[in-house]
Amino acid sequence: MCGTNIAKVVDVEAIAEFARTVPGVALAKTYKYMCSNPGQEMIVQDIREHKLNRIVVAACSPNMHERTFRSALRIAGLNQYLLEMANIREQCSWVHADTKGATEKAKALVYAAICRVKFHEELESVSVNMCPNVLIIGGGIAGMTAALELADAGNQVYLVEKNDHLGGNLARVDLTAPYLYSARDLLTERITRVMEHKKIKVFLNSTLRELKGFIGNFTASVSGVNGTGDKTAKPEVVEIGNVIVCTGYKEFDASRVVHYGYGKLPNVITSFELEKMIREGNIRTKEGKIPKYVAIIHCVGSRSQEFHSYCSRVCCMTALKYAHEIKSANPGCYISDIYIDMHAFGKGHEDFYRRSSEAKTLFLMYEKDDRPVIHKAEPKDNCEMLIEVNEKLSGEHIEIPADLVVLMVGMEAREDSHEIARLVNISQDNEGWFIESHPKLEPVATTTDGVFIAGTCVAPKDIPDTVAQARAAAARILARIAKEKIEVDALFSEVNENLCSGCRLCNTLCPFSAIEFDEIKKQSHIISALCKGCGVCVAACPSAAIKGRHFTDLQVLSQLEGLLAV
Amino acid sequence: MATRVNPEFIDDLDRFGAEDVKMCYQCGDCSTVCPHADEIFKFPRKSMRLLQMGLESKIETTLEPWLCYYCGQCSEQCPREADPGETMMSLRRWLISRYDFTGIARLFFRSRIAEIAAIIIIALITGAFLLYYGFTGGNIGIYDGEGAFLPSGFIHRFDLTVGGILLIFLVINAFRMWNFTMLKNTSLKVPWWLYITEIWQFPWHFFTQKRYAECEQKHEHPVYMPWLLHLGLMLGYVTMLVLVMVFVEALQSGPEIIWEVHIFGYLASAGLLAGTIYFIRNRLRKNYIQYKKSHGTDWVFVILLTIIVLTGIAQHVLHRTGVYEWANYLYVIHLMAVVPWLLRMPFCKWSHLLYRPLAMYFAAIRREAVRRQETILNNYPVFVK
Repeated sequence: MCGTNIAKVVDVEAIAEFARTVPGVALAKTYKYMCSNPGQEMIVQDIREHKLNRIVVAACSPNMHERTFRSALRIAGLNQYLLEMANIREQCSWVHADTKGATEKAKALVYAAICRVKFHEELESVSVNMCPNVLIIGGGIAGMTAALELADAGNQVYLVEKNDHLGGNLARVDLTAPYLYSARDLLTERITRVMEHKKIKVFLNSTLRELKGFIGNFTASVSGVNGTGDKTAKPEVVEIGNVIVCTGYKEFDASRVVHYGYGKLPNVITSFELEKMIREGNIRTKEGKIPKYVAIIHCVGSRSQEFHSYCSRVCCMTALKYAHEIKSANPGCYISDIYIDMHAFGKGHEDFYRRSSEAKTLFLMYEKDDRPVIHKAEPKDNCEMLIEVNEKLSGEHIEIPADLVVLMVGMEAREDSHEIARLVNISQDNEGWFIESHPKLEPVATTTDGVFIAGTCVAPKDIPDTVAQARAAAARILARIAKEKIEVDALFSEVNENLCSGCRLCNTLCPFSAIEFDEIKKQSHIISALCKGCGVCVAACPSAAIKGRHFTDLQVLSQLEGLLAV
Repeated sequence: MATRVNPEFIDDLDRFGAEDVKMCYQCGDCSTVCPHADEIFKFPRKSMRLLQMGLESKIETTLEPWLCYYCGQCSEQCPREADPGETMMSLRRWLISRYDFTGIARLFFRSRIAEIAAIIIIALITGAFLLYYGFTGGNIGIYDGEGAFLPSGFIHRFDLTVGGILLIFLVINAFRMWNFTMLKNTSLKVPWWLYITEIWQFPWHFFTQKRYAECEQKHEHPVYMPWLLHLGLMLGYVTMLVLVMVFVEALQSGPEIIWEVHIFGYLASAGLLAGTIYFIRNRLRKNYIQYKKSHGTDWVFVILLTIIVLTGIAQHVLHRTGVYEWANYLYVIHLMAVVPWLLRMPFCKWSHLLYRPLAMYFAAIRREAVRRQETILNNYPVFVK
């Protein structure tokens, strides 16, 4: 019934009545919340009492509660695969208003489930060994944090870094917003610990060449040997159980926005160039003068139809940080902060924004896609440049004097991210960010078991979020390592070796690279730990040699027949 | 043509009392609660914005600050303590200094020392002149008539001279205000006859202070008290000014009391005394949001007014009780305060007596002109791009 969720549209009693008339059905019951503890206990009780051997639950989507009911079956001593769910909530009560029609449809779904469940087989989950070693790709704040977390728990970690030093993008930053902690202080402690940790092996100037195997049992080859810088050196091969990808971001190329004249006007610089000036303690124009007017332009490359539609999340607070740092270095300086919206969502951000107002930062708003235009100023203007903008809050067309313009360049997926994605077999969205297996509930897992993602290679994020993800990924791996073995769902496909002709059609089709070819037997073989049971190979096999477990032809066809019979 | 932003303007504005305007993040709460803001005159938000950006050429054209009567609701609502009410007040100070062509107002608002020094100098010159005049031709023991220390005929001419100087400044400033707000930097076409049809607005607002009452309606004060007090004070000033400029001979003669004239003097004195006490009390207690922040010029105003009222009453009493010598000395002191007080008027907040009703008059014209322009555009949409 799902409370009134199902019962308000579908006549559940009528369905129970109908089910009782179906041959082979021993018992049909309704209950207010079948997924609740009493509901499950009722199922367990009935299985034991009536010696039931197949169960159909007509309720919500199996995505929601299949696990719940499977566990009820296990408790009752029945194989958990002898269950079938008929989704009469999402497919009936939620999408139909007509009670009669919805009830008829629900009957059909229930009947189909009954037809299918007759042919369910008892299946056993497969369990594989879990190698406790972990490979981490990327030596930024995320990679180092995860490495320390895992290594401190006693596991061997291999940390692969493309550059000749650790620290990633954070190593290019002076202070961090909003509390103005020094980025150097955050990093040096981690870098020292990582470099000296007995359980962490750091590969600098190195990249991942190849990743083979499946969860718990990967082998990775890493090219470029530490220190020598010799790319031709023989790749080092390591045995690992899990991988964390923390490859970070790259900054948007500001010269793509022609309005800003980056690369043409000498005093238009990017946020990272300013960051360098601040670190050197020398904020000056190209002519060597201390700038009197500094303009900071937000959302360069972000939140626009032309470039990236997403928000880069860190630039607003970084811009306020610059206002603070520039003003500290030169109190006589006037700062104009030219923004689209001020995104001050995080802890301490709103207060930081407030403090920037107190320090007389002039905030000017422009309309999305009506970008400011920067011109070279005349000598009489007493400034280097004039920024023309339609200021949204006043409705005035204004020009802002500026000696130095700072472009807050957004975050972009790295240009080589698709190579990583291919190597570790994870997906990317259209912007190039790696895709998590569920955006809300599985933020660090991917569709490939044993491969995790963390930090700014997933989407733009700030340091606390990056660190949280790194630790989350490490925690997920530690939990798996602790179990030593991992259960793999029994829903995978199998090749009947007697029928396989070795045509290799399935090898290239498999989206999970789960099919390998046995060169000796000249036959294909499915690695069950990698197979997701999607069924592509089953459909493609010209010899009908592949069987999708729990999705056999017999099961699927009888379900269809049942559906059409009512 | 783009208007140049002046990031340094905000520093200048601090001196006028608008140090909190930097906090504004343009949420618009202030304009929402303001009982006076409307479609055409959007404030305080818009005014705050122009101020933050330092668009002086735009700010000088605005009438909005004069349409605000500082009920303080906006400042109470403001989520960022940007104090829009006080900012509008500071803007009025800034506009006064803008209308003033001499630069004196700007100097006074920015420097208390300059203001007090100027007052003392004017007071001393006035005192010296009056004492010299009195001692050369008159007798300190005679108050009025033959051989008087300060004969009323002379005082009348003296008053008219001071009044004339005051008028010259005010008229020039009023014309500058008209130029800034109605002629300069505006694309709005104002038909000349609107100036005639709307002229009633000036005396109407001058004598009723109607908008002040509208402000307070939404406030928690009992029975329009602030409005009544404000009106009483204003009428007190005006009555006194008329008495001094026209009826000074009748006032000064005596010792008998000419009730037809004196009754006005007593009423005005009572009004001024009550108003002064009210001012001092509120500014000390800071009980209403309007009185939380007193600009230095506000205190100078209150102190001068106190001296004027007390010496005025005292010399009157001494005159009527026959202590002529002391009455004359006090009269000199009284005038030493009155002259700088009057001459200061075009350069201080007090000038809102003129600018407010004038702004109301201009606003009515502008409103009507905008309405007419919109009607034309609506009727002939072909002209609209």
